[in-house]
Amino acid sequence: MQNRYNTKLNVNHRLVTLATMVAFSCTLARAQDSTQTAENQKPDAPARRIQKMFVPGFLTTQFQYNDAKGSPSTFAFSPVGVVAFPLVKVSDRLFMDAGVQLLQSGSGATASIGELVFYYKINPYMQAFMGNFSPRYGVYLGILDDFTNRFGTGVAPVGMGHGPQNQNGIGLMGAFQTGYSKLSYQVYVANGPQMNTTDTVSPGAASSAGKISYNSSDVNNLRSVGWHIGFLPLSNSSLEMVFSGEYTPNMGDANGNLTHVDGTTMAFGLNYYHAFGPLMFRAIGEYNQTQVENTSYTYLDPVNGKTTTSFNNLQSGWFGGITLRDIGAEKTFVRSLELAARLGAYTSPTAAPWGAPQINQTTVTLTYWFTWCIPLNLEYDVLTQSGTANKNVFSTIVYFRF
Amino acid sequence: MKKRNLFLFAAATAAIVLISVINGCKVPEAIASKSGAQLWAENCNRCHNAPDPLYYSDSQWDVAMEHMRVKALLTDVEVKKIATFLKASN
Repeated sequence: MQNRYNTKLNVNHRLVTLATMVAFSCTLARAQDSTQTAENQKPDAPARRIQKMFVPGFLTTQFQYNDAKGSPSTFAFSPVGVVAFPLVKVSDRLFMDAGVQLLQSGSGATASIGELVFYYKINPYMQAFMGNFSPRYGVYLGILDDFTNRFGTGVAPVGMGHGPQNQNGIGLMGAFQTGYSKLSYQVYVANGPQMNTTDTVSPGAASSAGKISYNSSDVNNLRSVGWHIGFLPLSNSSLEMVFSGEYTPNMGDANGNLTHVDGTTMAFGLNYYHAFGPLMFRAIGEYNQTQVENTSYTYLDPVNGKTTTSFNNLQSGWFGGITLRDIGAEKTFVRSLELAARLGAYTSPTAAPWGAPQINQTTVTLTYWFTWCIPLNLEYDVLTQSGTANKNVFSTIVYFRF
Repeated sequence: MKKRNLFLFAAATAAIVLISVINGCKVPEAIASKSGAQLWAENCNRCHNAPDPLYYSDSQWDVAMEHMRVKALLTDVEVKKIATFLKASN
């Protein structure tokens, strides 16, 4: 077990070291070229201050009606949320991107930081970044959310969002043309996820041993390595295929529990759009899965005392959807409408104490776009799960972008 | 599972390298000559709707395009051309 731990440590650090060496070798190559022309260099011109700041954001609220057989129907307006993105361009090379969220809570509000990232442009094909960031993962995480989610966000999509959440770390990212195609990438080292290794269960509740969570604090001695590759094969950039993932060699906690257990999460996705005459068509889909190495989990059950269990800690999700919009219609009202339909599912480790049967989701959304970035979503979801009554949810969501 | 993950990662990387070699690093004239307007229509429709150039000021577009560089993973050429187009059109 000790040897396996060291092997993982060496592999993890070798990969990181190799990636860093490749990155800096590119920078060194450029530096070498510039020193050869040192004799002809002109004196440095005074630096021109070009710092610019911009704070876009959005305000969102929704109304939701829930109906499930055997339960009373509910309908209510949800709390209002505001998200602001302070963006600061310090220079042509330095940029800061942040996300601050304010969610109404009664007569007050809870504040949280969505992202706080600093970027440094090394060259036209590579940027270094550091901070608390949302990794690119699949089609949606790290990029597509709020008003860009054309299928609506009234009900949390069951097939997406199962991947690396915000983490603290450092990485490299960029994009470049390869002939008629394009490639984009993101690689990073971060604190990584934390698995719940032990648990004291409350009466009536299920143990959460083996569940994964992401936070900004380091809880063990090894980092996670993540990657995202985007490939756009068509010359008009209308199709993007992505492969993302994160490998964590140590899913255990700071107390030394289950430090030999590793985990990998991966996602494959595609995003395609094309205007067939006056009809704008989009197809978006993704498959994601997270696998934690087989191990035993121990938790304190209120009835049975100390309990040990083992299960295949594999969870997976998928979704696929299309949208249609008549962009050639004469009437502005018709041109502003977009119809979307999506299927999705999520499967948790069924043998886990917190496991559950697969959840299936069918979503139909009609969106009215007031402007390019202010949508009003009318969303209808049907959620089905073996052993529970079907849920029918109607949501009205508005994102007011500023 | 670990071996399969490594195999998938290696296969994906090999495929990307092969595609890059086949395509070559030289940018074809048809791609290099694309205007900012064309790049705006192609790239800005992929995730959200293409933004109205009148929506923000020149200074705001400068900053917004850096945000798009890191979010949408646009190339350096695309960022510069689209920013120039948006500022010229507002």
